[in-house]
Amino acid sequence: MEDLGLKIFGAILTTILGFVVGMTYGGIVRKLTARVQNRYGPPFYQNFLDLLKLQFKKTNIAHGFMGHMAPVWIIIAAVTVLMFIPILNGHLWFPNLSFHGDLIFLLYMMVFGSLGMALGAGQTGNPNSAIGVTRGLSQMVGYEIPFVLSLVALMIQYKTTSVQDLTQIQHETGVWLAVANPFAFLAALMASLGMFRYSPFDIVGAPAELASGPVSEFGGKYLGTMMSGGAIFSFIKLTLYVHLFLGGAGNPEKTGIIAILIGLGILLIKTFILYMVPVFYGWINPRYRTEQAIRYFWGWPTALGIIGVLWAVY
Amino acid sequence: MNIFFLIILIFFSGAILSFIINKIAPKFSGITTFITIAVVVFLFFTQIEINSITQFSLGGIQMQFGVNNYTYIFAILVLGLSLLASLYSIKYMQNNDRLGYFYSNFILTVTGMLGIIFSRDFISFFIFWEIMTWSSYLIVLYNGKHSSKSGMKYMIFSAIGAYAMLTAIVSIKGSYGTFIISDAIQQGAFNFSENIYIPIMLLIGFAVKAALMPLHVWAPNAYSKSPMSFTSIFSGAMSKMGILGMGLVLASVYSQTTNDNTFSVLVLKQVLGWLGGITAVMATIYALIQTDAKKLLAYSSVAQLGYIIVGLSTGTKLGVMAALFLAVIHAVFKGALFMVAGAVEKQVGTTDMTKISGLIRKMPFTFFTALVSIIALAGIPPLGGFVGKWMLYEALITESNNYFLVIVIFFSSTAAFLYSYRFLFGLFLGQEEKETEHVKEAPVTMIIPMVILALILIVTGAYPGILFEPIAHGMHYLGFSDVNWDMSVLVNVWGEESNMAYINLSIGVVFVVVFLFLTIKGYKGTKNVGTKDISTSGEIPTENENLTFQLDFFKPFERAAAPLYKRSMDKIWNDLGNALEAIFDFTRRIYTGNGQTYALFVIIFLVILLIFKNTLFTN
Amino acid sequence: MINDKDSQKIVDFIQNFARKQSLFVMAYGTGCGAIEIPATMTSRYDAERFGIRGAATPRQADVLLITGYLATKTLKRVIRVYEQMQEPKYVIGFGSCTINGGMYFDSYNTINALEQYIPVDVYINGCMPRPESVISGFVKLQELIQQGKADNGKKYRENLEWYRANQKKIIKNWKMPDYNW
Repeated sequence: MEDLGLKIFGAILTTILGFVVGMTYGGIVRKLTARVQNRYGPPFYQNFLDLLKLQFKKTNIAHGFMGHMAPVWIIIAAVTVLMFIPILNGHLWFPNLSFHGDLIFLLYMMVFGSLGMALGAGQTGNPNSAIGVTRGLSQMVGYEIPFVLSLVALMIQYKTTSVQDLTQIQHETGVWLAVANPFAFLAALMASLGMFRYSPFDIVGAPAELASGPVSEFGGKYLGTMMSGGAIFSFIKLTLYVHLFLGGAGNPEKTGIIAILIGLGILLIKTFILYMVPVFYGWINPRYRTEQAIRYFWGWPTALGIIGVLWAVY
Repeated sequence: MNIFFLIILIFFSGAILSFIINKIAPKFSGITTFITIAVVVFLFFTQIEINSITQFSLGGIQMQFGVNNYTYIFAILVLGLSLLASLYSIKYMQNNDRLGYFYSNFILTVTGMLGIIFSRDFISFFIFWEIMTWSSYLIVLYNGKHSSKSGMKYMIFSAIGAYAMLTAIVSIKGSYGTFIISDAIQQGAFNFSENIYIPIMLLIGFAVKAALMPLHVWAPNAYSKSPMSFTSIFSGAMSKMGILGMGLVLASVYSQTTNDNTFSVLVLKQVLGWLGGITAVMATIYALIQTDAKKLLAYSSVAQLGYIIVGLSTGTKLGVMAALFLAVIHAVFKGALFMVAGAVEKQVGTTDMTKISGLIRKMPFTFFTALVSIIALAGIPPLGGFVGKWMLYEALITESNNYFLVIVIFFSSTAAFLYSYRFLFGLFLGQEEKETEHVKEAPVTMIIPMVILALILIVTGAYPGILFEPIAHGMHYLGFSDVNWDMSVLVNVWGEESNMAYINLSIGVVFVVVFLFLTIKGYKGTKNVGTKDISTSGEIPTENENLTFQLDFFKPFERAAAPLYKRSMDKIWNDLGNALEAIFDFTRRIYTGNGQTYALFVIIFLVILLIFKNTLFTN
Repeated sequence: MINDKDSQKIVDFIQNFARKQSLFVMAYGTGCGAIEIPATMTSRYDAERFGIRGAATPRQADVLLITGYLATKTLKRVIRVYEQMQEPKYVIGFGSCTINGGMYFDSYNTINALEQYIPVDVYINGCMPRPESVISGFVKLQELIQQGKADNGKKYRENLEWYRANQKKIIKNWKMPDYNW
């Protein structure tokens, strides 16, 4: 029973960690964006305030059952994926369920949220929401291709489909997979631009054109819950990338509290640096139309991914 | 009396009975069909022993009936789906004309499928195959004139398949002197090093039914034009007969071909795999531009069969297991989806997605079925569809080294999210328009089969082992030894696993917590409003204002993927047909009806004879 | 647990602090005052440092910003947008026109006083008010929120009949959905 209690405690801790880190990163990006635009900008904890305010709204509108369920799908997908990826390589505090699911499962689970969200947005009956959803789904078909190519490259290069094992391999050999298969890394990095939906791939929720697209009918607690899900998701994507390509974080041989804290620190540094890639790219780019975005992903990123697979085979 | 003959007899008498009863009381025709199939289901699961064989001879030809572990999988699938479809059919077909015609053909189709499963020799196999083809052809024609062209296409391709199969069967008799399937396999009829064209001919015959590219063009039209209660077994069960045959042939080819001839097997694997992959991609991108829900589902059926064939083509343990699992799961969710489309058609009068939307509040149970089946179709955890997809990918990555095929399949299944969403949005979500105000939920006898299928999908997601058990036995029959399976853990050859129990646990816990949180928090302040209460820049939409977004749904994707849409197999076949017609037309002109022309022909013939007389009559 | 008065106070403080520090603004920019909004939001004056941010739809918005005169035709849309916003919600009247009609005081097709039709929390005087005064107006609203004095939605609900009567005087062909919170 103690074991079970520890596991539940670990799961809750992981969720809180993902949530806090994701929200803070979002706030920091808002601050940095403001500084780049020569503004003072909101405080870094602004996102928490927004979330609190949304949850404190007195009245809410739901457009039927699927509309009510939309945030639930997002949180389900976010938390479940979080449970199945390793947070630290030294799996003492955060083992969760990372041995019970592999990359293929993660790939499918990650779209669970978007589809649930799309269904909720569909039921509101707002045409803008549906248009945003079609754009989002089409764009997803775009960036999933290079992403999957790079994952396949890793899987066949090291004959494993588990994130945990890939991290362990990097820990043992000391070579990051970003170095071992640079093409796969580049393809995945370019795919991540689309995943985070910063410019130039932010046509999905264009505020002026689509009235913020899929979320245009959601307010109050619904929007707030979606925001938390989105924050966890950005943490998930970053952590997954760090563990797949950037050597992961944590040391399985050392299991003391200090080692874990150091591991978390390394994780935060790596994820933050990685997060800056789509953000920086977004600052200097205008917006693509959907078909241009899809063509972008099917161009160089896919070519790099194919080279990555060939690199892994030969 | 022997149980096999009894079952066939019950079926034939049921077919005749339902035809006669229709003349007296049309209402009871459907019920007769349902009872007939229910009786057979009861007999099958209580009386038949697996691996029992009945021998008899007909006109001096040895014939055998029996069920083995492999065909047992398909028997479950066919009987279960037919039972539910016939129950569904009672209300769905109510008030239609020519019910006797429909129901007797319905029963005959099921007879054909079950006969194929029973047959242990090629002669009865072929007879039942033709019974199945012809009766289903007659049902495709049921909806009248506008479907006769699709029926014609279906018939032509079925004939091609049947001739190919017949050629192979005759050759087997000629070379090995037997019609018994297992004897022929033992003597090496499907051995590539001995003769390459018998298995190929048989594969062509089966590929027609399994809608493999380039023989798939009949499928979208035939599936969407026949009545939906029949399409659910047409697409769900009948296409699996092709899979049954292909599985048997491929497994024998792979296990029997000796090492010195592996190159041709390798070519076969690659060709089949890539044909399956391309089928999946092309059918998917055509599915997502359809505006008719039935057509969309029909194309999606073709795409899903593509996955199954890819799984079979790998010839590895996990791959074949994935294919068989997908075959069963596809029967379940596609049967359910066609029933959903039928329910919508029955209640609204059309399945054109540009005309209807927002049925979710009016048809909640139908929506539930559609949602669950679509999640399974898209392969999203934790339902049964995910299990099949997972095994397929793992098989391709870990066992068959077909890395680029993985990408093709993945592209297809990501694009499948698009049409999945299109289907749900088009029928059930979106604006609730005035035209669909009167719509009510479908009758109970239509709801029950749909919901049962949806529940099966949920259960197989949590405990895929229920299906793994018969599949493992079946694979043992095919010659795969030591098929490992677990109740809810999926394992690949590298030892990585996906544990459905933990996945379900995680999803379930989070679902309950977040759902309760969202519902209880601010319950009093939360209001449920209609779809007209939306933020449209302060404008108040009037009753008749159309806010439905349905046309050109995936235009951005279409623009991006424009080069893919340029080629169409259907067009190529049509061009071929036209060209043949032109040649025949030219040939016809020889017969002008003018006596002098015929005299000229005679003279020309004599001249040719004179010129070539030395070469022709030398000895 | 919220029966205790002190803890209620703490909860109220946190709620009000979050509400005041995060204002999603639905800028109803039909009047000429809309030209001041970009200046307020961008680099020079940067309203985002107060947590003020644009919202695209009324569902997400907290503040309805009426920038300048309101033609009788647009009044209907403003009321609709206001009613679609979720409580707690606030309204800022921007420019002289919203107070007494400003330079359009005798125009046949604009309304004179905004608060006849929807309750207003803060007025920003001027024609045009400069971004500084816009921001000072927002800061005033934040003070009201922190003190718990901004109860716009409640006011509207309680005096709905009076507001409806005024609105119906202007909008002749009344075809609005009921407001039944």
